[in-house]
Amino acid sequence: MKPRPMTLLIAAGAALVVRRAVRRRIQGSPLWPMPALDPPVSGQPRSRALRLLVTAHERIADGVVRVRLEGHDLPRWEPGAHLDVVLPSGLVRQYSLCGDPEDTSSYTVATRLVEDGRGGSREMHEQVQEGTELEVRGPRNRFPLVEAPSYVFVAGGIGITPVLPMLRALPEGTEWRLLYCGRTRASMPFLEEVRKLDPGQERITVVPEDEDGRPGLDAFLADVPEDAAVYCCGPEGLMTAVEERLPKGAALHLERFAPRTAAGGDGEFEVELRRSGRTLTVAAGSSVLAAVRAELPNTPYSCEQGWCGTCQQRVLEGEIDHRDELLTDSERGDSMLICVSRARGERLVLDM
Amino acid sequence: MSNTQPRLPRPVESERIPLRARKVSFSWEDTPLHWVPGDPFTTHTINVLHLLLPAGERWFVHVYKQVLPYIRDERLREDVIGFIGQEAMHSQAHDAVLPHLKDQGLDPTPYTAQVDWLFEKLLGDRTLPPGRPRRWWLMERVALIAAIEHYTAFLGDWVLNAGELDRRGADPTMLDLLRWHGAEEVEHRSVAFELFLHVDGSYARRVRTWATAFTALVFLWQRGTRFFMENDPTLIDGRATFKEFHRRGRRGLLPSTGAVIRSVPRYLSHSYHPSQEGSTEQAVAYLATSPAALAAEKSRESAA
Repeated sequence: MKPRPMTLLIAAGAALVVRRAVRRRIQGSPLWPMPALDPPVSGQPRSRALRLLVTAHERIADGVVRVRLEGHDLPRWEPGAHLDVVLPSGLVRQYSLCGDPEDTSSYTVATRLVEDGRGGSREMHEQVQEGTELEVRGPRNRFPLVEAPSYVFVAGGIGITPVLPMLRALPEGTEWRLLYCGRTRASMPFLEEVRKLDPGQERITVVPEDEDGRPGLDAFLADVPEDAAVYCCGPEGLMTAVEERLPKGAALHLERFAPRTAAGGDGEFEVELRRSGRTLTVAAGSSVLAAVRAELPNTPYSCEQGWCGTCQQRVLEGEIDHRDELLTDSERGDSMLICVSRARGERLVLDM
Repeated sequence: MSNTQPRLPRPVESERIPLRARKVSFSWEDTPLHWVPGDPFTTHTINVLHLLLPAGERWFVHVYKQVLPYIRDERLREDVIGFIGQEAMHSQAHDAVLPHLKDQGLDPTPYTAQVDWLFEKLLGDRTLPPGRPRRWWLMERVALIAAIEHYTAFLGDWVLNAGELDRRGADPTMLDLLRWHGAEEVEHRSVAFELFLHVDGSYARRVRTWATAFTALVFLWQRGTRFFMENDPTLIDGRATFKEFHRRGRRGLLPSTGAVIRSVPRYLSHSYHPSQEGSTEQAVAYLATSPAALAAEKSRESAA
């Protein structure tokens, strides 16, 4: 049967109309007729590698350099945040941000040369200079400023870096005080900046050891109000001393210069797997993953170094010592990568 | 039953190596919008990878985490663990390109939000009764992944050999991302298929899921290229046509139409095994010189 010209015309016309209608829909919705996921997941990477230019590299105290890294449209940060800096040799080091959080065109960090360190600070001091390009990741915050009626800060030497933006961010009229100690006055960075924040000079105690001896922690911490938030950043010894002098249960926030290594914090702790009703012990130097796998051999994992994210698990109770390089601050609230992260206390409860 | 011996998949044993994820990172500040200079069509056709892979490879990981309890072979389990880490890293690496596109005025969100829906909802864990229905849906997805991996290995092998891109002066960072990814796809090309054979292996399922995956890939790809061409702020009348694709294929800037068609019967052959395609040696050789993979190696050593 031969189709009639009229039929052909109608069919062609209908095809054109459909084509135009589909085109119009695709313009607004590229994968029409699929709906979109709300909120979307892709396109918001957890950490973006940024390549920033060092535009200032200056000595601001004995053994301390301040480094300004410039870029554009940089992510904002909250006081207490740090950057992961990839040094030219490939070493990755964390540095607290100590500039202005609102500045989206540059980041500022300061670093002290550690003579017998692991090489990162030496590289930052000697290899990095104006004009060097550095890759950074972050910023991330594991030392966030919580809301509290009053604040007590203890900073040791370069440990002043995360504290400085905190002091600047405190609302007018907040009650706070700071004990800032160091080996010598000349080795203590940002003394001027800190002083400017306290025109009356009543809130700040500066203790250079060569002049005044050991800081009087007992006196300084004797009358800490019960509801005060206490922030301490400095050498391990200083932080232990502060920890010992505070009553148990005080809101103490610590920021370590380096992740606690085998000597300090790879101790034993207990993990309860709530859903499967088992309790196990994570031996010193071993991982949560290893202990869990012994009980639940089908537990997913892969890289075992804290960056692929496969072993992320929900944490129901217990304070987490995050050692991964992946999770966002909000994910850190209630989950952990069990291949590298550990308990801060003696016990964790996992939802598995 | 037939009395002839079935033709079994023959793996090429020399192509097997232990798998390990590499932690790479790329910075995109210096990569131009048209990273194949003067050729937006080629750029955007390849850019579709950045739209599909973040959600797609996240979904691979999600499915494979659930299949671990079904694996009864230790060596295969180790391969799957290595595969999961590599896929997780691929997803992260491509995801990091998306904000860069947005910075350059080409916001990919309308498209990626729909791809997210496809993988998170349509292909996600449906509310099924435990037991057979749940297992059926898991096996269906495992077979889908095996079919998709046939094409990722095909593309990986292609990009490792796409010398024309170098000759056209394509951006070195983008080429390194594509070739690092391609090399790992070639390196782990047998895992998804072997897993499918191990847990199910039904031929009907292989054909069915291949048809779904192939149709979906063609659909997603043509819509993706079209989306980029139409929304590219530097193009006045950007269009994507099949003719353009075919022409680029002949010049070696994209996979050729013929090669795509020839890959179909290979996957559907009864004796197919991914190790018969591509070269592990070439993949490993690239990974030994890739700037991103070398940096990953360095930071692994410094961490150890």
